[in-house]
Amino acid sequence: MSLAFALLAALLVQFALQSVHVWWVLAACQPLLLVVVASSRRLAPVSVGWLGLGLGLASDAIADRIIGPGGIAGVVAGLVVALTVRRFELEGPLFWIVSSLLAASCSELALTLLVATLGATPDHRWLGSLAVLATTGTAGLAVAAADRVWRWWRSPERQRRRVLKHL
Amino acid sequence: MARLRLRSDLALPIVCVGLYIVAAAQVRSPRGSALTIAVAAVASPVLAVVDAVGNAWQSFLAGRADLAKTLEELERLRHETAQLHHTNQLLAAELLATRQGSRLLAAFPQFSEGTVLARVVARDAAVTHSMRLDRGRADGVRVDAPVLAERGVLGRVDRVWEHGSRVQLLTHPAAAAAAKPIGLDVEGLVQGGDRPTMTGLPPYTTVTPDTPVVTTGSEGIYPPGLLLGSTLEARTHGLFTVVPMQLAAHPSDVVVVLLLQPAGGSTP
Repeated sequence: MSLAFALLAALLVQFALQSVHVWWVLAACQPLLLVVVASSRRLAPVSVGWLGLGLGLASDAIADRIIGPGGIAGVVAGLVVALTVRRFELEGPLFWIVSSLLAASCSELALTLLVATLGATPDHRWLGSLAVLATTGTAGLAVAAADRVWRWWRSPERQRRRVLKHL
Repeated sequence: MARLRLRSDLALPIVCVGLYIVAAAQVRSPRGSALTIAVAAVASPVLAVVDAVGNAWQSFLAGRADLAKTLEELERLRHETAQLHHTNQLLAAELLATRQGSRLLAAFPQFSEGTVLARVVARDAAVTHSMRLDRGRADGVRVDAPVLAERGVLGRVDRVWEHGSRVQLLTHPAAAAAAKPIGLDVEGLVQGGDRPTMTGLPPYTTVTPDTPVVTTGSEGIYPPGLLLGSTLEARTHGLFTVVPMQLAAHPSDVVVVLLLQPAGGSTP
């Protein structure tokens, strides 16, 4: 359920980032990739790949690109992230930061290669890819911080301290 | 009937290959699709909200910049107004002095030579009965120079500096001037103080109130014929008549005075 909410929120943010009022560096952020990252802890790698495929296609549609390369890049990113998280048992802030950077770099690399092999004109160059990496990584860092705060807020240790303070 | 069941992990690369082929087809024959229209329809409300927020934010920033500029302009105008007010006051004072000076020169045309117009820079008519002028030795002012106001005699110069001088007013306790009431062939002495009086008149002299009193020049300081004031109700002390006087010139009204050359050519 929380994944569905995250997906909806990411879609809304992805739409909002298309606005002309958003700075182009910020507009390069890929919140849908963070959903793929979030799913990598709960779903099997293949399922993460499928989710990456769907969200990549959605990203293609939102960005008004040719439909397909984004989906394939999403599959690559999802599989790589899911396998890496399992192999290295990433947890906590490290999981979010490494996974988001890995997902963004895999997605951008795959997208660039696919667009190059298709002979199509890419909608952004290396500077855009760098912006995608930086903003998505920063978004991952922000999610990690929020996750940390959320866990601290819900921790039994804090609850116990609160109860003891009121005794 | 054989049932075809595709494994998920195998289906994924197949779908990817299919997508690649579809993408290649799109590259070869680019065309707007129904999907693009649908995505635009879904995105439009979100984009409208973001655009509205962006516009509001830009308006806010522009308004803030305008406000800062307006406040800066207001501060500048306030400063300018204060400066103009100050300049206006100075000009008004200058105009008053100029008018008084020209009236003064017109009132005493007989003293056009060797006179000096001076501005009053300080006055103390209550305690020291003196005033300071902005003209001094460098301007030809000498000790004992008679000092005239528009209405009459104010006093005489008792101290002179290089660029300033001090006037002993007729209200000073030590001030005195030889005088006579107009219409009478008698001479007396106007003595200063808080209530200036005319003394030294011959016995049984009758002086009617409001008679103008002018200088006679006998004391060697004031030229004859200058108005000192007017008489009040006279009284008799023994044989002598003492006449209280109302001085003509009021130091508090004076901004510019006329300094004459001392009658005896006094040294500085």
